[in-house]
Amino acid sequence: MPNCLFLCATLVHYAGPSYSNYTFHLFHSAAEPWPENAALYQPLKDDQILLSDHASSLAVQAYLRMCNLPVQVVCRANAEYMSPSGKVPFIHVGNQVVSELGPIVQFIKAKGHSLSDGLDEVQKAEMKAYMELVNNMLLTAELYIQWCDENTAKEITRPRFSSPYTWPLNHVLAYQKQWEVRRKMKAIGWAGKTLDQVYEDVSQCCQALSQRLGTQPYFFNKQPTELDALVFGHLFTILTTQLTSDELGEKVKNYSNLLSFCRRIEQNYFEDHDKDSITSSTSRLSKGSFLM
Amino acid sequence: MGTVHARSLDPLPMSGPDFGVHGDDAELVEVEPEAKQEVLENKDVVVQRVHIDGLGRTKDDLLGYEIAEVFTATNLIDVMKKSHEAREKLLRLGIFRQVEVVIDTSDGEDALSNGVDVTFEVAELRRLTGSYNTMVGNNEGSMVLGLKLPNVLGRAEKLTFQFSYGTKETSYGLSFFKPQPGHFDRNISINMYKVSGQFPWSSLRETDRGVSTEINFPIWKTNHTLKWEGVWRELGCLARTASFAVREESGHSLKSSISHAMVIDTRNSAILPRRGALLKMNQELAGYTGGDASFLKEDFEIQLNKRLFWDSVLSTSLWGGLLVPIGDQPSCIADRFYLGGPTSVRGFSMYSIGPQSEGDYLGGEAYWAGGMHLYTPLPFRPGRGGFGDLFRTHFFLNAGNLCNLNYGEGPRAHLQKLAECIRWSYGAGIVLRLGNIARLELNYCIPMGVQSGDRICDGVQFGAGIRFL
Repeated sequence: MPNCLFLCATLVHYAGPSYSNYTFHLFHSAAEPWPENAALYQPLKDDQILLSDHASSLAVQAYLRMCNLPVQVVCRANAEYMSPSGKVPFIHVGNQVVSELGPIVQFIKAKGHSLSDGLDEVQKAEMKAYMELVNNMLLTAELYIQWCDENTAKEITRPRFSSPYTWPLNHVLAYQKQWEVRRKMKAIGWAGKTLDQVYEDVSQCCQALSQRLGTQPYFFNKQPTELDALVFGHLFTILTTQLTSDELGEKVKNYSNLLSFCRRIEQNYFEDHDKDSITSSTSRLSKGSFLM
Repeated sequence: MGTVHARSLDPLPMSGPDFGVHGDDAELVEVEPEAKQEVLENKDVVVQRVHIDGLGRTKDDLLGYEIAEVFTATNLIDVMKKSHEAREKLLRLGIFRQVEVVIDTSDGEDALSNGVDVTFEVAELRRLTGSYNTMVGNNEGSMVLGLKLPNVLGRAEKLTFQFSYGTKETSYGLSFFKPQPGHFDRNISINMYKVSGQFPWSSLRETDRGVSTEINFPIWKTNHTLKWEGVWRELGCLARTASFAVREESGHSLKSSISHAMVIDTRNSAILPRRGALLKMNQELAGYTGGDASFLKEDFEIQLNKRLFWDSVLSTSLWGGLLVPIGDQPSCIADRFYLGGPTSVRGFSMYSIGPQSEGDYLGGEAYWAGGMHLYTPLPFRPGRGGFGDLFRTHFFLNAGNLCNLNYGEGPRAHLQKLAECIRWSYGAGIVLRLGNIARLELNYCIPMGVQSGDRICDGVQFGAGIRFL
C-alpha cells in the first residue's frame, strides 16, 4: 500500500451520480425480495472450521431451510475476519451483510418471513429463555472444550484454526485466539471449572431441553421455530464430531428424544437436496474422518 | 565551516617549540607579504602526521579510511582541499557534532623542513538524542517521539527508535544501521516496525508488523539496494459500509519478499531540480521465501529535467508498474498500484482512478503515469534572493491509466488496454519548496478523459508530499 505521510486536503466533487452507502435503511432492504444469490459464509469445511462455528453455521442453515429461503454456503479461510461482528456465520443478501443467528432472524423477519409469529407472548418469552440457555451453556461449553482443555487445543483446535496460514503466522494467530477465548472464559467465571464440571453442565442443559421437548416433534408442537434450528445446530454437530474423547457426544445420546429430534430435522430439511446436504457429510462424520 | 590555522613554514628555532615564533611571523607578514603568498601556493609540503583529537567511543580503525586521502597532498593548497574533503567525509558518518581542521608545521625529532601535521578536532555526538514532533494529517493528529543512538558500538552504527501515537492509529519502528568501515556508501540496515494506516478511498484499514533487512551498495554510478522483508499484514474494513469486494480482502496474510532496487540520480536536488535525470527501477519477488503472498512486482520511475530560457525548467517524468500474481491466488489489495491525487495525476481525488466497487477503489495490477511540467519563477519575482526563491509557478500536463490485466491474453492486449481510456489533466499552480525533502502545491486543475467510477477534484487542489509525478 503506498505510504501517504503528508496531509492532502482536497475539495471533492463527484463525476457522476453519486452512489452513497449511507442511505441504506432496513426499510429499504425489507422492500426487496429474497435474491437468488444469497450466500452464507463460514470457514473452510474440511480443514478449518471448529465445533462451535460449525454448530452456529448449521443452526443458521437449518433456520433458512425451515423458512424455505435458498442460500448458497461459501467457505472462506478468512470468514471470521470478513464478518462485521467477528463471528461466523454471516449472510450476504443483496447489499446487506448480517452475522449471527439473532440478527439474521430479525433481518429475515423484516423481509416478511418468520417462524415464531404463531406463538403468543408467553411462548415467545420461553423460546428466548431456552435460546439463551443454549447460548450460555452449550456454546460456552463447546468453546471451553475447544480452547481451554489443553489436550483438545493442542491436538485439534490449534492445528485446525491455523491450517490456512503459513509459518510463523499460524502459531501467532492460534495462540492469539486462544488467549482471547481464555480471557473471555475468565470474565464469565468459567476459568475455574474442570472438564468434568463442564460435561455435567452440558448434561443438565440437555436434560432441560429434553424435558421441554417431551414427546412433541418440535419445541412448540407442530411447527419448528428458531429455537429448533439452534438446538439442532448444536446437538447435531456434537453428535457427529469426533473430539479427543467421546464423552460430549455420550452426554447427548443419553436423551433419546433429542436424538430422534435431530434425525427428524435432518430428514425433513436436509435430505431433499443431495449435493450440499449434510447427509453426505454425516456418513463421513460417523466414519470419524471429520476431526474437530 | 571548519577553521584552518596555518603557521609559517620556516623551520622552528633550534631551541625547540617556542611561542616566540609569533613575533617572527608578524614581522615576516609585514615585511614580505608577497613572498609569504608565494610560499603558500608553490611550496611543496609533505604531510607527515594526521591526528584526530577528541575521540571517545569511536574506534580508531574506522576513521583511517576517511583521512587517508590527506596524506597524498603535495602542496599547501592541496592539503587544505583534501582536509576539507576529509572533514566532509567525517561529518557524513553522522557521529560527530562538529569537526575542525588545524594544519600546523611538523615538530618533533623526525620533522622534515617542509613537513606538515594535520589535526582534526572532533566533538562526538551524545550517546542518546531525542526528538519530539507533532504531526497533523487527514483528520488525524499524532505525536511522534524519536530516539537516536548514534555510534552505538564505535564504528558509526546507528540505532533509531520512533514511536508515533495518534488519535486513530499507533505505529513504532526500530532500526539499526551499520556502514562498512571505509566505504560509507555500502551499508546494511535492519528494521522492525509496526505501522497502521487508514485508507478512506478504499474503506480499508491496514496494520503491518514486519522485519526487514537491506544492503545498499554502489556499483559505478548506480546505487543498488537488496532487501528482504517479512510482513504480517492485517486488513480490515474501515466502516460498516465498506463494499463487499473490500470485505473479502479482510484478514491476515504473511508476505515474505526479496526486492532489488537500482537508482541513478544525477539531479542537483531531489525537490525542484534544475538539471539532471533520475532513473529508479524496483523489482520485488514474494512467495519464494515463505509466506502467503506470491507475486512478482516491477516498477520504474524516470525523470528528466532541462533548464530553459529565463530561469525556467522543463521537467518530464514517467512512472509505470506491473504486478504479476504467481500461482492461482488473485492479487491482494495491499499489493496493487493506485493512481490519482495531488501527488500523482492531478485533478483526480486521492487514489481514485481505476477499478472500484461501490465507491471503494481497489487498485490495479498495471499502471503508467506521465507528467510534463514547466517551472518558472513567480511572476514579477517578489522576494527575489530570499523567500521568493522558494516558490515556483508551474504549468503541468499529467496523464495516466490503471487497470487489471488478464495475463493469459498476451502483451499486445495488455498494451492496448493500458492505452485506451487514458485519464489526463492540465493546469497551473504554485509550488513551495520545504527544505530539501518536501514540497507543497496549490494547483488549479482541469481533469479530462474521466471514466465512470473515477472521482475528480476539478478546480483548486492542494497537495503536500515528497514524491510527485
